[in-house]
Amino acid sequence: MGMIDISEARDRDLLLRLRDRDEDAFRGLFARYAPTAKALAQRVVRQSHLAEEIVQEAFMAVWRNPEGYDAERGSVKSWLMGMVHHRAVDLVRREESYRRRAEDSIPEAMQEQVDHAEEVVQQVGLPEERRIVRAALDELPAEQRDVLTLMYFEGMSQSQIAERTGLPLGTVKSRTLLGMRRMRASLEGIER
Amino acid sequence: MTRDHTTIEELLAVQALAGLDGDDVQTLAAERASHGDCEECSRLEAEFSETAGRLAFSLEPMPIDDAMADRILAESPASPVVAPEPATTVDDLGDRRERRVRGWQAAVGVAAVIAVLLVAVAVIRVDRTTAIAGASTTQRLVTFSGSGEGELAVAFTPGESGAVLWGSDLPDPGQDKVYEIWMIQDGTPVSGGCFRPQDGQVAMSVDASLEGTDAMAVTAEPADCPSSPSGEPVKTANLTLV
Repeated sequence: MGMIDISEARDRDLLLRLRDRDEDAFRGLFARYAPTAKALAQRVVRQSHLAEEIVQEAFMAVWRNPEGYDAERGSVKSWLMGMVHHRAVDLVRREESYRRRAEDSIPEAMQEQVDHAEEVVQQVGLPEERRIVRAALDELPAEQRDVLTLMYFEGMSQSQIAERTGLPLGTVKSRTLLGMRRMRASLEGIER
Repeated sequence: MTRDHTTIEELLAVQALAGLDGDDVQTLAAERASHGDCEECSRLEAEFSETAGRLAFSLEPMPIDDAMADRILAESPASPVVAPEPATTVDDLGDRRERRVRGWQAAVGVAAVIAVLLVAVAVIRVDRTTAIAGASTTQRLVTFSGSGEGELAVAFTPGESGAVLWGSDLPDPGQDKVYEIWMIQDGTPVSGGCFRPQDGQVAMSVDASLEGTDAMAVTAEPADCPSSPSGEPVKTANLTLV
């Protein structure tokens, strides 16, 4: 827990230094979170070069406007991932290609990426949080986890999920709420 | 009296995962506007956003081109786009009073950008605001912040032209004055049109593209709705957060 406190404090310090145009601080933030940002973008758009473009765009926005971060609204890392996620979702929706991607099975899509993942995990230094978030997801009832997965990792809207699953829109929303409440409660122990 | 947050909480949960669409975007905007300066709403929004961001960390990191950081720095090596704020300690970041101060400083920062750019850059004028007559389906909702009274939010669909603006409890901008909306695109303020709130309320569509818009600002301007801002922003919204 203490380790994560320090982690967030370090992120905020890096962000403060970004406001003074500290390039080393930017490189530090990039090295720390770009690999996870790439994983998120690629998970949503499913194409490596597009994922890299999204990551570059998001970190460019951070570099140009670090004042965009508001500590009252959450952690630096969640803010960063939010920017990456919204850009990735915008892209897939603009291309209207989510339908093809959604054909992939969720469990398969959740499988670990090959290659040098473990090496990068050590480099980034966030394996404990990864374990906790995964455990929290695993503890969700399957119907809630599926909705969250489709919405967040597949980039599908509530209406698209309702259409795909045949669930009433109200059920999609209520499952999302219940799933998010549970996730929030599970992650509350992790300091920002 | 305790407000009912049932609808807002559900829609904020969906919004945090970028899943909100259809009429619910407008429903959320209307609910937020009706709740005014609602701490519970802000708390829920922040908590769900935080939770959503954490989901990314369930994924295995992927190797990324180290040269990307160099490219980003090379593309934007110039002086700060926005005036830097005074240094604060890490502990200060969570302090509510400090946040308010920084919020105003951020607004002033936008004003500084506008003032500088007024000298150097010609402002492209866009079409004036038209009255709302059934806002189109949108996917993003951004609330404004700043020292000015009242609540203001804009909803839009990324990649599509147009946006819908809602506001409540807005003060009168003054005699012969209107509020003018500005889209900050590559540091350039582009007018999104003018409005006068009716009984503190506004609901209107903005016929302009938000593509490439980094931030939005609202200033009080003369009634002829000038093509260049003359006043400091009373409200700002950062679109890079969405």
